[in-house]
Amino acid sequence: MIRHLLKGAVGPKDNDSRYLLDVHRRDLPGEATMRAYPDNEEVDLCVVGAGAGGSVLAQRLARRGWKVVILEAGPFWHPDEDWVSDEAGSHQLYWTEKRIIGGNDPVELGKNNSGRGVGGSMVHYAGYCPRFHPSDLQTDTLDGVGADWPISYQQLRPHYERVEAELPVAGQNWPWGYPHTYPFSPHPVSEAASVLWRGAIAQGITMRVGPVGIVNGTFGNRPHCIYRGYCLQGCKVNAKASPYVTHLPDALAHSVEIRANCMAARVELDPSSRRATGVTFIKEGEQIERLQRAKVVAVAGYSIETPRLLLNSATKGFPNGLCNNEDQVGRYVMVQGATQAAGRFPTELRMYKAPPAQVSSEDFYETNPSRGFARGFSIQTVSPEPIGWAEHVLADGHWGRALREYMRDYNHWTTIGVLNELLAEPDNRVTLAEEKDPFGLPVARFDYSLCDNDKANVAFSTEVITDILHAAGAQDVLTIQRFAHLIGGARMGTSPENSVVDAHQRSWAVPNLYLADGSVCPTQGSANPALTIMALSSLLAEHLGSRPATERSRL
Amino acid sequence: MRDLSKPDHLPNLREGGQPPEPSWLPRQRRGITPQMIGRYPDYDVFDTAETWDPATARVIAERMEVRGSFAFFTPDEQPTLRALCDVAVAQDAEPRIPVPELIDEKLAAGRLDGYQYADMPDDRETWRLTLAGLDEVTAERHDGYRFAGLDSRSQEAVVENFSKAQLRSASFDRLNITRTWSVCMRMILAAFYSHPWAWNEIGFGGPAYPRGFMRLGPTSTREPFERPGATDEDPVRTVTEGRA
Repeated sequence: MIRHLLKGAVGPKDNDSRYLLDVHRRDLPGEATMRAYPDNEEVDLCVVGAGAGGSVLAQRLARRGWKVVILEAGPFWHPDEDWVSDEAGSHQLYWTEKRIIGGNDPVELGKNNSGRGVGGSMVHYAGYCPRFHPSDLQTDTLDGVGADWPISYQQLRPHYERVEAELPVAGQNWPWGYPHTYPFSPHPVSEAASVLWRGAIAQGITMRVGPVGIVNGTFGNRPHCIYRGYCLQGCKVNAKASPYVTHLPDALAHSVEIRANCMAARVELDPSSRRATGVTFIKEGEQIERLQRAKVVAVAGYSIETPRLLLNSATKGFPNGLCNNEDQVGRYVMVQGATQAAGRFPTELRMYKAPPAQVSSEDFYETNPSRGFARGFSIQTVSPEPIGWAEHVLADGHWGRALREYMRDYNHWTTIGVLNELLAEPDNRVTLAEEKDPFGLPVARFDYSLCDNDKANVAFSTEVITDILHAAGAQDVLTIQRFAHLIGGARMGTSPENSVVDAHQRSWAVPNLYLADGSVCPTQGSANPALTIMALSSLLAEHLGSRPATERSRL
Repeated sequence: MRDLSKPDHLPNLREGGQPPEPSWLPRQRRGITPQMIGRYPDYDVFDTAETWDPATARVIAERMEVRGSFAFFTPDEQPTLRALCDVAVAQDAEPRIPVPELIDEKLAAGRLDGYQYADMPDDRETWRLTLAGLDEVTAERHDGYRFAGLDSRSQEAVVENFSKAQLRSASFDRLNITRTWSVCMRMILAAFYSHPWAWNEIGFGGPAYPRGFMRLGPTSTREPFERPGATDEDPVRTVTEGRA
């Protein structure tokens, strides 16, 4: 109640990241004085991946005295020099190593959904931070689709609240799912988004401002957003939340080592005890394998790289990949349908101003039998920059002179999108391809096909946003069908036959191997995944951190 | 004289799905735009270049310097590439954004997008097969000609077939042509709309750090340095009508 009244005046406890940041430089403080553990020292925890999941876990456990090394495949960013206010110049933020995509509906990766480097994909996410609904954790019981989670919403809820205070999340009071408030007040809304909002009101659809992980008040040394609109290109301002500014400064201050440009090759196993002994990795430019020994290993490489690492870690006893004797690794990978529709209006709207993430609705989130499909979708404003807008126009079937005409009209357009909950299917799966990366490691292949329920959901939601545009007075509408986000691939469950990890995100097969990222989610809801990935890691850290230090080698 | 609040220049709303001839657009007076056509005749994104942060300014400056040399495409492939890029974004006159050179730089550096369709080769191979395929299709339709040698109307007809996945040839048969169109077009568009001349054409505000944007609406959506869109008006007639 007090927090509700005081809004952002009550900061998060046990995380000083906001004060550790430098007001005048964007670099992650503490890099120069960062702890360096020798490879042969058995640290308490080796994390693979410095993204949303890995960073929160490392920060939490370092605060409890754990010695932690994070291996990160990508670079250690210096945003003042490395990040630019430019679409094409931001190519390096994405995972652009080759991956093979197949199935009936292949999912484009790279800039669409895959990050690389310290801070992970949240460096280039739009900033939307909605929670999952309680129903997302019980879709099998409630709707007969997907799977039930082995944990409850009430277990996750305190961690949602904690992470929302750390990011911090700004938005109106949230009426959907488990109703809640946000620590920061809503951002101002641009005219481009207001036009869409008025259309929604005319259609009887409720929209609310937020929730976005973007600072708009006093929050340590994190500045206020400057509304430049380049959220997807990495926030040079430090206003948008990513682990780079929300958790890693505190982690470094508590002796975490981030080893950047280090590609994990495999998780090593002691053949007799079947316990993980550490992670073998290759540092870029060295071309030799090194082993970081650890008492506990946590893989946080996200839905493509986590399964790939496990599959590449095949060994005696696990001939088909580590933890894969039940053939569950890499299955049930999910993406969200992310159709976007743009409308043309008489006045200049200049949608490139302000963050693309502004106003959203969860009116259609839950199952409504009258719609003819299970589960639902959310609605969110977006705003492509010129290259994104060109892809939108191309997708509607235009090229040459027609495309140039639509492009010249850019300033008169505004865009609204959906996130469909597409269902988890066992054959939507990550496997190993025959091709190898520059380190000689087989790359991932991701097959994806939509089911009938998915297609019905996508078609219905496209009509809803098209109707919003027409209700707002759009003079012309252009539509692009696409996918967004990744989740699943090594899900948690109730037994080794239906999952890779248990309710504590511990692998069924290897007692000291944990997965700390979005790959453990059995369903995805219609919410952007970042906040939930962080909250799950926070929950995992609470579980691991509550055990006495002497027990670490027995975890 | 056209009213910009009306949408009747938009292809979807016109018979045949094609826009009007660019003659309705004003003469570009300030910044450079491709073919010197655009909707913002008094706008130049470079007017604010001194407000850009050094890292961004450097990336844009390097992009402006790309032109003239090829490291990936062979001399034999270059005319076909240039013709395809010109038709794909209707660059029919100078000044042109150097789309072929920007693509060449990207492919030579191996800056690919991070995914490859299972039924497709590597993007670099896709480009080579596409250019060979365009020449094969042309040779069959127009005895002995190569794609670059066709008049623009015939080139557009071939590209129209390409966009609808209606081309067959030895090289194209090794590709999934629907995906090939997407791979090539997205690279062409990323090159074209990464260029500040294209931002001048469409009135895009450009890099905005550390300055940011203040005017989000509704009072105004234009910063002081941004310019309103315009059409090809006769100023004398406008003034006369104003008096009347």
